[in-house]
Amino acid sequence: MSAPRVTINTEWLSGCGGCHVGIMDLHEKMLSVLGEVDIHRCPVLTDAKGYSEADIGIIEGAIRSEHDRLAALAMRKACKRIIAFGTCAVYGGLSGATLAHSREEILDSVFRHNPTTRVSEVPRAEVSVLEKSVIPLDEVIAVDLYLPGCPPHAAFIFDALISLARGRLPKAKDESVCGSCQRDMVKSEVVALKANHDGVKDEKQCLLSQGYLCLGSVTLDRCLAPCPQRGVPCTGCAGPTQQILTEPNRDLRTEIGERVGRLTKIAPEAVVKAMEASAKTHYAYSMATRMIGKKPTFLIKKWIADVEA
Amino acid sequence: MRTITIDPVTRIEGHARVLLDVEDDGNVKSARLVVNELRGFERMLVGMEADRMPLVTARICGVCPVSHAIAAVKALEGLWGVEPPPAAILAREILAAGHLIHSHALHLFALAGPDLYFGLAGDTTKRNVLGLAEVEPELARKALRLRTLGQKLVEGLGGRGVHPVTIVAGGISFQPTTEELAAMEGAADEMVALARELAAWGRGLLLTLAEREPALLGAEVRSHDLCLVKDDKVSHYDGALRLCGPDGATVAEIPCGAYAEHMEERVFEWSYMKPVLFKQGGSEVSYRVGPLARLNVAKSMGTPHADAELAAFRQAFPRPCHLTVMHHWARIVELVWACETARANLAEPTLRGPMRVPVKVRAGHGVGCVEAPRGTLIHEYVVDGKGIVRLANLLIATQQNYAAINQSLEQAARSHVAGKGDQAVLNAVEFAIRCYDPCLSCATHAVGQMPIAVEIRRGGEVVRTIVRKR
Repeated sequence: MSAPRVTINTEWLSGCGGCHVGIMDLHEKMLSVLGEVDIHRCPVLTDAKGYSEADIGIIEGAIRSEHDRLAALAMRKACKRIIAFGTCAVYGGLSGATLAHSREEILDSVFRHNPTTRVSEVPRAEVSVLEKSVIPLDEVIAVDLYLPGCPPHAAFIFDALISLARGRLPKAKDESVCGSCQRDMVKSEVVALKANHDGVKDEKQCLLSQGYLCLGSVTLDRCLAPCPQRGVPCTGCAGPTQQILTEPNRDLRTEIGERVGRLTKIAPEAVVKAMEASAKTHYAYSMATRMIGKKPTFLIKKWIADVEA
Repeated sequence: MRTITIDPVTRIEGHARVLLDVEDDGNVKSARLVVNELRGFERMLVGMEADRMPLVTARICGVCPVSHAIAAVKALEGLWGVEPPPAAILAREILAAGHLIHSHALHLFALAGPDLYFGLAGDTTKRNVLGLAEVEPELARKALRLRTLGQKLVEGLGGRGVHPVTIVAGGISFQPTTEELAAMEGAADEMVALARELAAWGRGLLLTLAEREPALLGAEVRSHDLCLVKDDKVSHYDGALRLCGPDGATVAEIPCGAYAEHMEERVFEWSYMKPVLFKQGGSEVSYRVGPLARLNVAKSMGTPHADAELAAFRQAFPRPCHLTVMHHWARIVELVWACETARANLAEPTLRGPMRVPVKVRAGHGVGCVEAPRGTLIHEYVVDGKGIVRLANLLIATQQNYAAINQSLEQAARSHVAGKGDQAVLNAVEFAIRCYDPCLSCATHAVGQMPIAVEIRRGGEVVRTIVRKR
């Protein structure tokens, strides 16, 4: 008799749903996965509403409201293993950038002082109270496996699901986005940083060598480098590499600063200054996590407030 | 009075729920869809580098990231005075078409298809895409294949399917190779053929369902309709916003930049999603957007097979059609249109030209508008001289359908609450909502799923709660 099939629940908290679409983007390979697992609860595909017991719980999205918190707890109770699936679940994700603002500020911009909204009350009946800020999943429940990415590339999703279905751990390689980028990292004579919209980028040379702030070298590769390969600097959407996370004194801006300093004639301090001045753009995806918050980035709210002043 | 609670609703039951208020005699007074998430993009975007907006706002919704990216980039190009090269516009139209194929195919076959196939009262454990794949494996395979082909266009030109990266101010960020374009073009005939085959299947199912559930042909919302049009045709990329009355006559036509003078958001105390009204000549009307609205507003689709599909639709249901269930037929027409549009654009020699022009940043104010799969989508930004966003405002399709969705819910509930079982109420209510394919993650710039609990209240007190049990 063959072993019983692995059962899966999925849940979607505060996020965009893109990680669930990411599973659809396994395309033909989705059928191989479906052939080896049983999906119990999946809010976008089946009508099952409860949280029945399952071997694996895949959770997309961060904790933004009381509803999210309770749903996460229910998933933890029902599932043997929880995967924080996608950058929102792992680090808070893009909407973690609201860390810089209070709940009232957010409600103000959406309801009270919005250009096309007639001034009226802020919703308070029937709706869940918002948490103070966006909270990564593992600050609320214990997480067994982390798969960041916005969304993770199908290759990583496939490896994760098929490995778990067959009772082994996913490969989850620990390389930066540079590992998948074909651009040539060369020494250059560039003396000043460029804004993303400045000039036309060379097609072959490393973006850092050209003076553009690309986060590829400090970002975990869960994407296979679609951005730098197509002329767009990496914005760090899969979150930081292990090196950044585990070494207390290393941070995105100091690490990029050092690398740019070695590759070009630009001073590392100029990079640090530029990234602080645009902290909301460069730290957007991971600023809600304590792993970044505990670093010498504790002034992040001030940097953001300075820009907006 | 007997109070029936089918299953206590714990607060964890879903991001959206439905509240039905009933009179003492048991008749439904009103129905409300409560949307329960808020992410606060309007605040979050302020202070970010404006040129990242296409990449960042794609994250509003994982189902329609392409639409957000294009709306954002058009707003930026407007405020910086940049005209993207013709090849980039063709490429963006292909991205939008590929995206519509993925979204409509997913909805028609994976989300609504099970409703159409198994009927409203079908076994809920089977009434899903997996159940559909069991009974119609060949069809499910073709539907998934079509979705894959659409999404591969987005992967090819956008760099990836979810949250594409190449849509930048000034054009497209890379130059696709001749081989890459040839490969996409090679799949175009298959796409059109699949869409036509699936259209016939979907149409047939829809008519069978209407026979089985005649009440569906009585459920109409006589609403105004709005969409982008160009030369009287549906336009997903640019054009003017046209509003038609319930009789189909044009009431207003405005440039996208004037949206704020006409569109006004309101606040419901009981939902994070804001409804929208259109102000015109001293009066305010609620209106509908999306596939059915587009077919009501535009004269034609502009591609041969889609126009044939449209003619068949109008033969059966003359323009304007207000039947909620016909959103599905409208999606079928658009699916064929998107495949034909992608094929035509891929064959264009102009597509092989340069994809990008440089941009010069300056302070300004811009509005970008597109037709997303679910309807009209508007992004507005104020940017300072350093290229930093100072104000962001977003008007999303599902918000604009809020009034119509509540009205459809009310109709569905009215015909089922009195005298019918709980599952029948739940089925009818969910079916009505699914017709709109609401994307709640967009609409609240938060996330949502299908409503999971229906609460029936009398005088504010909960008398009955219905949830689906596994």
